[in-house]
Amino acid sequence: MTELAQVEERFRRVAQASLANPHSQEAADAATQRMLEGRTTAWADLPDVETLRERAHEIRMRTISDLDRHLADFTAAFEARGGKVHFARTAEEANEYIVDVCRRVGAQLVAKSKSMASEEIRVNEALEAAGIRPVECDLGEYILQLAQEHPIHIILPAIEKTAADVAELFSAVEGAPVSPELEELAAAARRQLRKVFLSADVGLTGANFAVSKTGSLCLVTNEGNGGLVTSLPNVHIALLGMERLVPTLDDLAVLLQLLPRSATGQKLTSYTRIFTGPRRAGEVDGPEELHVVILDNGRSNLRGGRYEEMLACIRCGACLNVCPVYRKAGGGAYGPVYSGPMAAVLVPLLVGLERAPALPHASSLCGACTVACPVKIPLHELLLELRKDLVEERVASARERLGFTLWSLAWSRPSLYRASTFLARLASRLGGRFGPGRTWTLGRELPVLARRRFRDLR
Amino acid sequence: MADAESLLEQAGYEVDFPLEQVCCGQPAFNAGHRAAARRVARTFVRAFSRDRPVVCASGSCATMVAHYLPELLGCEPYEVWELSAFLAQAESTLPARNAGCSLAYHDSCHMLRELGIAEEPRRLLERSGAQLVPLPRPDLCCGFGGTFSVRQPEISVAMADEKLAGARDADALVTADPGCLMHLRARAARTGAPRVIHLATALARGANP
Repeated sequence: MTELAQVEERFRRVAQASLANPHSQEAADAATQRMLEGRTTAWADLPDVETLRERAHEIRMRTISDLDRHLADFTAAFEARGGKVHFARTAEEANEYIVDVCRRVGAQLVAKSKSMASEEIRVNEALEAAGIRPVECDLGEYILQLAQEHPIHIILPAIEKTAADVAELFSAVEGAPVSPELEELAAAARRQLRKVFLSADVGLTGANFAVSKTGSLCLVTNEGNGGLVTSLPNVHIALLGMERLVPTLDDLAVLLQLLPRSATGQKLTSYTRIFTGPRRAGEVDGPEELHVVILDNGRSNLRGGRYEEMLACIRCGACLNVCPVYRKAGGGAYGPVYSGPMAAVLVPLLVGLERAPALPHASSLCGACTVACPVKIPLHELLLELRKDLVEERVASARERLGFTLWSLAWSRPSLYRASTFLARLASRLGGRFGPGRTWTLGRELPVLARRRFRDLR
Repeated sequence: MADAESLLEQAGYEVDFPLEQVCCGQPAFNAGHRAAARRVARTFVRAFSRDRPVVCASGSCATMVAHYLPELLGCEPYEVWELSAFLAQAESTLPARNAGCSLAYHDSCHMLRELGIAEEPRRLLERSGAQLVPLPRPDLCCGFGGTFSVRQPEISVAMADEKLAGARDADALVTADPGCLMHLRARAARTGAPRVIHLATALARGANP
């Protein structure tokens, strides 16, 4: 859980590096612009996107407010089909179970499809520590794994990697030069990953949704790796965020209309897999063993309170693509896993405000995220609420709290308010030397105040 | 403020400026300091009566008063208007002070997304004779964001640069929000051009000096 945490100054420091790197800036601009246009077009093609968003929000909140029952229903249905359910309260418990299953079946190689939850619990490190080799099979994640880096975008994890970067990484694997042509790179990835699919003992995936009534898991991918990972190895383990349930297949259909459109601008992803139970007698493919690890890891903190709506998040990345702060700061600033406005809200709630105090302030509160959210999470309102908690729980510095208290004592008295606007004229020459004024003038001049105040003209 | 007053008077309204008014509390509210915000907002509420509409020459102050103040204080809502929305419904004649002037208009985030005001200021500028130059991404925040501007100064300034660059071909960049104005103008003063002016000034005196 603490893997998500970060100290106060980290956001600004990482953002500074990203701002100073023209390649990072161009990559973020290009990727977010393309995804944003994709979503806007896809939404415009829907007959009534507003009604659909409201339905999606209603489905998500109805499920979350009755989550225990839905978890019980899902578990019963999943196990009735022959699957095994394990509930993990923490990242450690989840990793322990996954490693145990792998050990029991004597696994040496685990093929993974893309999963943010697996990034969250750092399962790769846990597997490696147990002598088991995990290989990411989503192209972007595979590239990052070779580079030993973490995703900087939920949907497009490796946006900063150029063809030349990828060619270098792939060449190292092959022990022979791979040219940075797209066809060559795709062929090399296919060569390298096909071996993994065919020889992996265990397939490890996330799950975009789980259907509580039928016990089904749903996985949307674009590269087909999800299909191979879930059907070729004998054992499949799916890691499911405990909040990602929907009651019925009809409800799933509503969310599937929004997820790909909001993420990549597609009506449907290339592959949408819904699987229910392991391979049954007479079936030709599918795993013999199917496990689902349901992950809490701090999600329960959000239940029943002011932040419950954040559990509705479907990890589409739409809020990242509209966020001007994300574009400048880059995904790495928000931490090693989640990024953008959803991270600014979610991470402090998962790990505790005191462990991610900069994130609620990593936003200009412009509200673009709220407008873009397909499930209508009021992201910027939740950030406001978190800022309130930062102050009330005294995570905000004593100096900041004292500053605002003194400010309010002065500005709540009309005479002192008037005096302060008068004094501002005298003090403006000193303003750039201390505290916030000094930070302001790093890139800006101080405001030039009118020679006479409006109230004095009257 | 004087420009806003003269526009309202030209439109045939009598303007009262309560001298006991103070800030609405938004800087503290947005930074999470509710108690401080409440303290200031209470004085604000005492200064304004509810028997006539309140007009604000600031999109974000109008948002604070319209949306958050009743919740913060548990008080009755005000009839509060952002200046351009008020002037647009008044349909008064505007002198063509911006004839031959090309202007870019910057949407304040609060005004655009919380109040839904995007067309009114643009129509007013056009009625004053201005030629509008569209900004490449009018939906993007300018990077002010209250305390955000000093907590993340590098990102804040980079966002301003993008906004200012988009207004390169205009005679001036016009905005209806003093927060955006202060930030954009302060950055433009450091980097040179374009001029950044308030909507009320552009309408009352013309954008060209």
